[in-house]
Amino acid sequence: MSSAAVPTRAYTHRLSGSTDLPDRNLVGGKAWSLARMTSLGLRVPPAFVVTTEGFRHFHEAGELTERLRAQVLDGLADLERSTGRQFGVGPAPLLLSVRSGAAISMPGMMDTVLNLGMTDEVEAALANESGDAAFAHDTHHRFLELFNDVVLGLDPHDHRADSPAAVRASVSTARPDVAWDPLGQLMASIEAVFKSWNSRRARRYRAHQGISDDLGTAVTVQAMVFGNLGEDSGTGVLFSRNPLDGSKQVYGEYLRRAQGEDVVSGRVTPQPLSELADQSPTLHSELLAAAQTLEQANREVQDVEFTVQSGQLYLLQSRTAKLAPEAALRSTIDLVEEGVLSVDAAVRRLTPSQARSLVAPRLATTSQSNPPVASGESACAGVGIGRVVDDPDQAISLAAEGIAVILARPTTSPEDLGGMLAARAVVTDEGGSTSHAAVVSRALGLPCVVGCGAGSLNPHVGSIVTVDGATGTVYAGELPVLVPREDDSDDLRTVIAWARTLSPISITATAEGLDADDVVDLTDIPGGIDPEQVAATIAGLPPTQAISGGAAGSPEAVTAAIDAGVSRIVTDPVLPALLAAVHHTAPGQPDATAPTSADSPTDTKGQPR
Amino acid sequence: MRADEHLVLHGLAVKRHATAEEVADAIGDDPTRVEEVLAANVTTGRVADLNGKYTLLPGGRMIVKGEYSRHYADVRSSEPFLAAYERFERVNEEVKALITSWQVRELPSGEAVTNDHSDADYDEKVIDRLGALHERFEPTLQEMCTVVPRLQRYAGKLDAALDKAEQGDRQWVSDVNLPSFHTVWFEMHEDLLCMLGKVRVE
Repeated sequence: MSSAAVPTRAYTHRLSGSTDLPDRNLVGGKAWSLARMTSLGLRVPPAFVVTTEGFRHFHEAGELTERLRAQVLDGLADLERSTGRQFGVGPAPLLLSVRSGAAISMPGMMDTVLNLGMTDEVEAALANESGDAAFAHDTHHRFLELFNDVVLGLDPHDHRADSPAAVRASVSTARPDVAWDPLGQLMASIEAVFKSWNSRRARRYRAHQGISDDLGTAVTVQAMVFGNLGEDSGTGVLFSRNPLDGSKQVYGEYLRRAQGEDVVSGRVTPQPLSELADQSPTLHSELLAAAQTLEQANREVQDVEFTVQSGQLYLLQSRTAKLAPEAALRSTIDLVEEGVLSVDAAVRRLTPSQARSLVAPRLATTSQSNPPVASGESACAGVGIGRVVDDPDQAISLAAEGIAVILARPTTSPEDLGGMLAARAVVTDEGGSTSHAAVVSRALGLPCVVGCGAGSLNPHVGSIVTVDGATGTVYAGELPVLVPREDDSDDLRTVIAWARTLSPISITATAEGLDADDVVDLTDIPGGIDPEQVAATIAGLPPTQAISGGAAGSPEAVTAAIDAGVSRIVTDPVLPALLAAVHHTAPGQPDATAPTSADSPTDTKGQPR
Repeated sequence: MRADEHLVLHGLAVKRHATAEEVADAIGDDPTRVEEVLAANVTTGRVADLNGKYTLLPGGRMIVKGEYSRHYADVRSSEPFLAAYERFERVNEEVKALITSWQVRELPSGEAVTNDHSDADYDEKVIDRLGALHERFEPTLQEMCTVVPRLQRYAGKLDAALDKAEQGDRQWVSDVNLPSFHTVWFEMHEDLLCMLGKVRVE
């Protein structure tokens, strides 16, 4: 038997610190992002990939062959060497994460499994090493829960038990073939990723999208790092700029001697990032430099997850930060001024809904001095003023008479939809932010406060109240509402001026300079006030110079108006419509620097679009 | 009231405000027959006809409600059905939480803002989770269907909505004006509550 007869194909790929990026089709999007981070000189937990070549081999053979297993074991040995930890064995056990990764993300692919390699012995070793038996025990349970759910496709609720041994026993009655040893866990997870390629949803998606079934998925196997191995360990998140106001100041939280899950579970109260600076100024500045590097490379404000394990900084993930609308506006302008972003890319980055929320009506701050008559959980922001009605049918009939109503209900059900549509705001006694009332209100953009307590608005039925959806409070009477003006904000004026240079259509707040005969007021036309119908309405108009009123400022109307050759839209505020107009045109140069920059600017999230 | 007539009015109770076609579609019945039943109930004053859309009048609603225990006695005493329903309620919590993540994103400040769907990665992840949940719930729904076969219609509608959402038609997740995943899920919940005589708990 000679291995020379058959050239040994590589089914795995080690993610090294090389500046050469691997082929995305071979390693998948997630591993490619990790490789990109290492190519920027940043440290990520060591990982290897079972490539799409390995995938094809698996599907041809119908199983994980010895050859494939041997290469996985080699990759594992590599991880053990570079981490100084051992898979399935104390005193410093190596735990792994396993992720699916196709070049194109699609539904139905296997989700991530964490803490793979966990056994009763490993739990004991981890408890000893971290000095935290509760953490080790939780980690064990979390592993079993994810493994049962994601790899075995079981409902974890059906197999809950006090001890991991009891969970395993319960699962084994349903699935006697499960191998619980660390290598068995790893091989089963890799196999589950490969099989998920042919899940019903994945196949359906590829068929619809015309994606080849042969493309295949890779599997990323990565070492877990621990932030709770001692006083020189910890975990945290940071934003490369303040995500609330967009100012150029790093914003983050750090938990010394804690694991990522602690943040989520609320086991520990996070400390500001200065905690890390106190622990180690060197690590702190290394982290800030990393955030800077990632922001420069991605040209977007970054949300970075990191862990410090025994004094060593590891970056776990970096993605585009979710910013408050104010912060999105400020940081986008700053990135242009810093020469990172072109005006064209900046304008395209802001969305019409962000622009709209920046000028959304809000309660004047002075008006909140009187105590609320009811308060609950905010379900949908916005201000609604009207007469309290506790019957949906009455809400419909009063609204038909032109009376503004606030619908107050114990809870809502589909029966109440008509009443909700007629109301200016909805208030419920029971339920949280996931209740029916909350879900439907958000779908309708209707101010909504939920969970105010039984009979909270009973004493106010028939009287006028003001509902502040943003804060979840209800006030007696009609309070003054502040409508921010675009002209009052320097930042908004800047972006409006930029958007005007790129917009193919003129958009103004007033009809100044237009003859009344040249303007079609959509308010007077059937379908003209409904964003769902307005596009068809505009397309059906005779040649028109300008439109105004109705839904003229909606993205649907703007797009239709451009396509119909309309030259001007009169609407206020102007920025949402301007942004919709720019988004309807082909993009120009995405970045402000040279177009031959090494790291492709088209991919800002490490994910193909 | 005959069982088939009650089923039509039950369909109307779940849909609340609907055409005969919509009620027929909800319960899987012939539209012409549903129209006849609804028209007959308009004559007796149980149902109102509002320009082709029907709705139960308060008296009609009370009568329909009072008859559930009679028509659904076997469902209410079916152990497998009740066990499946318990599971539905648990999955329902997860569906509601997912729909919330679809509509709302939490800012670093803890403040929740409307998801403006500008982050495709985030949206894809939520739809993917919804699909996983749907797949895991399907055997349970099939168990319910062995007792009440017409519930099969919900399985088809949920799958169709999910398919559209997965292909990028994002309004099929929770748009209240479409048979979106949430709309159908919610009607199914209402249907189950009516049959079992239970009250919605939020």
